[in-house]
Order: sequence, then structure tokens, then C-alpha cells
Amino acid sequence: MPDKILELQHISKFFGNVTALEDISTSVEAGKVTCVLGDNGAGKSTLIKILSGVHRPSTGQCLIDDSPVEFSSPRDARAVGIATVFQDLALAPLLSVWRNFFMGSEPKKGLGPIRWMDSAFARKTAKEEMFKMGIDVRDIDQPVGTLSGGERQSVAIARAVYFGARVLILDEPTSALGVRQSGVVLKYIRAAAERGLGVIFITHNPSHAYPVGDRFLLLNRGKSLGDFAKSEIEITELTRLMSGGAELEALQHELSKGR
Amino acid sequence: MSGVAVAEKPAEPAKVVTADERIAHRGPIQRLLVSPEIGAIIGAVLVWAFFWGNGRTFGTAATTLIVLDAAAPLGIMAVVVALLMIGGEFDLSSGVMTGATGIMVGLMVKYFMRTGAPMWMAVGAAFIVAGAIGFFNGSLVNRTGLPSFIVTLATFFVLKGVTLVLAKRLEHKVSVSGVDTAKGYKGFYRFFAYDYKPNNFTGRDVVFLSLVLLGGALLITGLLEQSFIRRSALNTKFVPVGTVGVVAAGLGFAMLHRTDGVANNALWGIVAAVGVVVAVVALATSRYQPRTDQAGASAARSVPTTVRMLVIGGVVSVALASLAPLVLKRNERREILRWFPSSVRVVVGVVAALTGVAIAMRHMWPRTRERFQWYRPVQTLLYAACVGLLLLAGSLALFQLTTVQALRAIAMMALSALGLSMLLRARAAAGRVSVTLQLAVGAVAVVAIVALAFVVRNDSGAVRFRSGLFAAMLIGATALTANTLLETRLQKRREMHERADRLGRRLVAGGAALVVIGLMIRVVFTNVSNVKPGANQAFSVTRMSILWWIIVTLVGAFVLTKTKWGNWIFAVGGNKEAARAIGVPAAKVKTALFVTVSLVGCFVGVMVLLRFTSVQASQGDGSEFLYIIAAVVGGNLLTGGYGSVVGASVGALIIAMSDNGIGSANWNSDGRFAFKGAVLLIAVLVNNYTRKKAQEAR
Repeated sequence: MPDKILELQHISKFFGNVTALEDISTSVEAGKVTCVLGDNGAGKSTLIKILSGVHRPSTGQCLIDDSPVEFSSPRDARAVGIATVFQDLALAPLLSVWRNFFMGSEPKKGLGPIRWMDSAFARKTAKEEMFKMGIDVRDIDQPVGTLSGGERQSVAIARAVYFGARVLILDEPTSALGVRQSGVVLKYIRAAAERGLGVIFITHNPSHAYPVGDRFLLLNRGKSLGDFAKSEIEITELTRLMSGGAELEALQHELSKGR
Repeated sequence: MSGVAVAEKPAEPAKVVTADERIAHRGPIQRLLVSPEIGAIIGAVLVWAFFWGNGRTFGTAATTLIVLDAAAPLGIMAVVVALLMIGGEFDLSSGVMTGATGIMVGLMVKYFMRTGAPMWMAVGAAFIVAGAIGFFNGSLVNRTGLPSFIVTLATFFVLKGVTLVLAKRLEHKVSVSGVDTAKGYKGFYRFFAYDYKPNNFTGRDVVFLSLVLLGGALLITGLLEQSFIRRSALNTKFVPVGTVGVVAAGLGFAMLHRTDGVANNALWGIVAAVGVVVAVVALATSRYQPRTDQAGASAARSVPTTVRMLVIGGVVSVALASLAPLVLKRNERREILRWFPSSVRVVVGVVAALTGVAIAMRHMWPRTRERFQWYRPVQTLLYAACVGLLLLAGSLALFQLTTVQALRAIAMMALSALGLSMLLRARAAAGRVSVTLQLAVGAVAVVAIVALAFVVRNDSGAVRFRSGLFAAMLIGATALTANTLLETRLQKRREMHERADRLGRRLVAGGAALVVIGLMIRVVFTNVSNVKPGANQAFSVTRMSILWWIIVTLVGAFVLTKTKWGNWIFAVGGNKEAARAIGVPAAKVKTALFVTVSLVGCFVGVMVLLRFTSVQASQGDGSEFLYIIAAVVGGNLLTGGYGSVVGASVGALIIAMSDNGIGSANWNSDGRFAFKGAVLLIAVLVNNYTRKKAQEAR
């Protein structure tokens, strides 16, 4: 029996009379990657916002370690170990790697009431954590802005991992990257999973999702097209479903009949 | 090596090491150039040297203290304004705050405390009001998301209006005076504006000399540590030689300081220089690994053409620079114009104008592919006319204004700079070929520098400038000698080394700090009457304000670089949304910054009030831009997220120096605005350039 860290049961979300999500169920296991695939407007962003505590689901529930939870703020989600790496990365480009790494949670030491930042520890730890993700940052003092897109992603991922995340949500981490950089990020995703985290990888690119994913949730217009384990689905099928395969077939069928 | 130790960590899953071989090792100098305040520090030295050479009084103990005294309030404010700027906001009410709080305290002392209430109540009330205004600024900016430029501009005008109304109502004039009658004035005066007058200078030179020498030694050690690879065990063979060198250097400097006269100075100068070279080279050889690479082992037979050409060019340039003073006479104010018949002048003028037109045409003429636009020919003609006129005027002015003396100075400077840079390039190029060649070229460069130093020395003119330049060139020659010897003997480190780099950085920082402290002690504890005979005006030796400036700068630098608040300030200024998302209390940080600026503004206001016992309502008007200029000159980014408190402090010093120096050089004092503007523009350009360079090099 695999241990599910996070499970979604029949989640729906309505904004007024708009149905953003309808009856979505999936799960994330420790050490596994669950991919959420969908085209624009499929409801991916709404799902992330529910998971990271920005929105509350209208119906359905989230289970953490098999017990239901309700988040009223992003802070609650972070407290139970759900870390979200948003598309804009939450990094300050002019700040050094280690300052970014510890931004908001600076290690401190001091004498009595005078406390200062333990920058030696911060430098060392940031470097080590980055190394565990597979990046050898030569100079931990270099501004994050000078890193490549993939490396920047990995700073954000390594930071989330270090600060005790159990579930890591990655919002389209490869969407702005080139082919090679995307490959690098996929490696980091795998590395994070192999360190025992549950990863939710949101993307609209099946060829990015398939190599790293263990479970695939397909969304289309707020509805689930299915929640598959890797053994149940091939990449061709995944791509077909993603590109609106069923609708496309129906359309083709109709067109050929009319001829 | 700890660089390897990182790689020996317990094996982790999915090890995809992407050690990038394209990342070059950054040397100590390059690292130094990355820091934001470096531009300001170099600029301060340049501005100082400029006025020192030009001004009559600039650089004496007396003017130095006047400059520091003027810089102090500016520097204190620049520090907090820089913090706010790094946090991504501006405070235009910061200048008027210093005047308003001064007026406030003055009025309260006069009108509400006749009953004998102590002064601290007035000062405390002023601080509370200032804090409240800062809080108002901060909250409004946070709540509404309006640009702080607008919000604080409003505060600025409101404060100014209220202050003027109150001062005119109560005092019937725009200033308040007579604070010194208040109860408890003495204590406040001691705290804020006391003048410290020591009368004993005997210990000063010992402290100054030992601090500078110790600091210099640490600095050199730090640079070596960052550049070379350490041996596994010390090679003791060279230690005795090194010790002799250290003793000789110490003796040389001590005697140089004690003796006078050309012969003595030359003797001990040579002892000191040789001592330094021997000590540095011997001790470094015993500590770091010898050179093993190809260029070190083999001696190439032939000298590459580039090296040969550069050496010849360099030597010729230096020789011409040395000969220039013989051909062109100093003090000859005759215009060069007289040399040429008027026909030559006309021809040159026409050629210059035509060249200008040609350049403009080439740049602006519409390309064939472009769509024809009616204004392009007009634009081009106007542009051509402008450039042509400019070149014409320039060439005529050159004839008209250039005296033999000016031509001589320009020729000497340009030729020697050209020659030395060629020789240094040749030395670097030779280093890639063989050790002996590098040594030879290095020797030529050293001889050239020494020769030029003596040319400068024998050249009559501004005595201080000449002797200072002479000493600086000799120090440069010593450093170059040591450097050449080290580079040919030791293996340069190509990769990063965490521990050595950190140690090196600390040594460099500590050494530089000691040197600066030593120089400061020398400057601040100066027996003024000795330095400037005949000047019998009484003025302070040092002021509390200067001490406060130093304290505020140090505290600001500590908070910014060493505490979590500093990290938050960087984060909020760098990417506010990111900072908030990750859990930095962005609004709190910004409000705290606004409150700090207001409180420190109040502090400066009270300081100025106590100092003069009176205050003008216009005090601090327009200073807010000076604070911002100081911060920008100090390498702070206008858009926030990057900068340095020390830089802002040095920026304030630059502004104060230019104000004083322009007066000292007997220039039109209104020109100081233009000078400040030029300094600001140059500083911004330099900062921009170095930041780009720094980021490219990674």
C-alpha cells in the first residue's frame, strides 16, 4: 500500500455561476510525481490555488495523511508542508543565491538581544542544498539574475525542499524554458521526488510530463478526463487526450460523413 | 582542499552535477570591483586628488575637518535614505524634516517651556512627531500602493507650510534662535554637537604608522591568499630572508617618518621598498606552491612580435613623455597659436568642419532600404551643421586657448599613460610565453615608472601634488616589482577555493579597515595650528557630528548586510511580490524604513539646531535630492534591491568635498551645481558599467 501524502476527493469550485473545477479526484504519493495536464483554461491554476490555500474548494475535500484538512490561508498550507513554486518564482534577481535561498527565514545567531544573520551557515547550507539538487553553484554570492532559467527553478525548488516541504507544487516550471533547460528542470523534479517528496507538476506539455510522471490527471474545461497511473496510459494516448483527441475524432468523423 | 571536500559528501540520489567549466575563476580584484560602493570610493579618491592638486587650501587639516563637518549631516541622512532606496522607495520629505524638527524643538523650548520644563520633553516630542509622520508616509504608501514620490512630496509641502506658518506666527521671522538658554541644553549639546579638542599628539604617529603598516600587511596577505595555492607544508628555507625583509621594511618606514632631507628620504625609501619586496616575495614563496605550468618551465627562444612591438611603443612613449618637459617650457603661457601662420589655422578649421559634416552624413544619411521620410534630410543637415560647427569651434579653441604649458601637461600625461599601459600589456603577454621574458619586460616597466617618477619630481610646480605623485609612483613601482616576481615564481590559482577565498576576503577587508582607521586618526587628530601657520581662527579638532556619522554608517552597514532586516530590505526592494509570497512582512519593512528616515531626520535637525543654537525654516530645503544623489553616487540602484550604505556615506563625502574644493580652487562657486551634476552623471555611468561587467564575468 503506497502512502498517500495528499489526496483530493471530488473537488469542485464555482465562481458565481462559472464552474472552474468539477469533481476532480487524484492523489500524490511520497517519492512520486503526479502530473496535472491541461490546455489553457482547463482549471490548472484554480487547482493550484486550492492546493496552496489561496482558494477554498466549493465542494469536496483535501486529505493529508488520510485526515481531512481545510486551509484558510497560504500559511496553513505551508504549515502542513505544501510548498508552491509559482511561475514567477518568488526570487529577487539582484540578490545573491544564498540571500534568496534564506529570504524570509534567515538563520540567526547572536549575543543576548543583539542578533544577526548567520551568513556562514546560510552560505554553506545553500550551497549544499543546491548540490543535493545536482547543481554545483561555484559562487553562492552571485546574483540569482545571472543564473539560467533552469537553475533559477532549482533554487526555488531546493529552497522549498530545505524548508520542510512534503508536497511540492510546481506551476508550469518548463513553460518559459528552452529544450535543454527544460530537460534540466525535469531532472530536478525527479531529484526532488527521489528525496521522498510528493511532487505535483503542472504543465501543458505531455512530452515533458510523461518521462517524469507516475500519475497523470488530465483536465479539460474544469472537468477531469481521467486520472491514470503510468502503467495505464501511453504517451500517444496522453497526447491525443491533451490535444482534445475525442472531440477531434468526432469532428473528423462528422466531416468525413458529410462528404 | 575543501572544494573537493564538497564533492565527497555522502552520496545523494540523482546526482546530476553540472559543474560548468565555462565559469572562470574570479580574481580578488575582480571580486572587489563587483561591490556596489567601489565606484564611490574610487571617485572620492579622484575628487580628492583633483582638488588637492588644484586647490590652494584643500587637503590641509583645517579644510579636511570643515569638509567632514559639512559631510556629517549629509552622510547620516544618505545612509538611511540609501536603506529606503534599497527597499524600493523614496522620501522627499526627508530634507525638510531636518528643518521642521529643528524649528519645532526651538519653538517648544521658547514658548512652552518658560516654566522651566527640561529640554528633553521638547526633543522627545519632536521625535514622536517625526516618527508619526514617517509612519503616515509608510502606511499610506503601503495601503494605497501610490508611488512614494507623490506621497512624500505631499508630506514635504505640508511640513514646509506648517513650519513656516508656525515660525512666522510665533517668531515673526523664519528662524528660531536662543535654544542655549533651555534647561538641560548642556547635556544635549555634549551628546549631539560637542567639539573635542585634544592637546597631545605624541602617540598619534605611532598609532597611525603601525595601523597603516599592519593593515597593509594584512591586505597583501589577503590578496596573496586569494590568488595562489597554498603548500601542504611551509617551506622554511625562505623564512629567514623574509624576516630580514620585514625588519628592513619596518626600519625603512620608521626612519622615513623620522628623518627629513632628500638624501635621507631616498636612502630609507629604498630600504623600505626593497624590504617590502623581499619580505613579500620570500614569505609568499615559503607559503604557496611554486609555478609548474608550461610557460614557467620552458624558455621560449624567440620573443613574440606583439610583445616586442608593445615594449618598443611603451619605451618610446615614456621617453617622449620624459623629454616633453625639456622641449616645452613650463610657465610659458604663450599660445600655440603663434606657432602657426593664419593660413594653416584656416585650413585646419575648414578640414575640421568638413570632417564633422562627413561624419554626420555617414551616420544620418537615409539608408536605401528605409522608407523615405520627409524630415530625414532636414534632420541630417541640421545634425551635420551642428557637428561641423562643434569641430570647427573645438579646433579653433584648441589653437586659441592652448598654451605651451597646457600642451606640455597634456603631452606628459597622455604619453606616460599610453606608454605605461603598453608596457603593462606587454608584461601580461610575456607572462604567457616564458618566465624570463616576463621578468625582463617587468623590469623595463619598473624602470620606466621610476624614471617617470623622477621626471615628475624634477618638474617644478605644485609642490604637494608633485611629491605625492612621486611617492605614489614609487609605491606603484614597488608593487609591480613584487607582483612580477610573485607571478613568475608561484602557481596562480584558477578555481574557487571556499576557505582560502573567505580568509582572503576577510584579510583584505580587515586590512583596508585598519589602513582607513589609521589615516582617519592621522587626519582627525591634527594639530591644526601647526599645519596652517598664521591661521589663528579657532575651530574644533573634531566634532560629535563626525562621530555620529561614522556610528550611523557602521550600524547601517551592519543592519543591511548582517541581519535579517537587511535581507528583508533587499528582498522587498528587489521583488516585493516574491518577498511577500515567501513570508517577508513587506509592509512592515517599508513602514519601518520610512519611520527610520523620519527619526534620523529629526536627529539631524536637533543636531544642527544645537550646533548653531538657531535654525532657519529653510534648513534642509532641497537636501532630499542631495541625499538621493549621495546614495546614487554610492552605487545604490534607483529601482531598489541593490546598493550599499558605505557607498552612500562616501557619496556624501564626495558632495561635501566638491562644495569645498570649488571654493578652494577659486572657481565660481555657483559652478558647484554643475560639478555635482557632472559627478552624479559620471557616477551613474560608472556604476552601470561596473555592474554590467561584474555580471558578465560570472
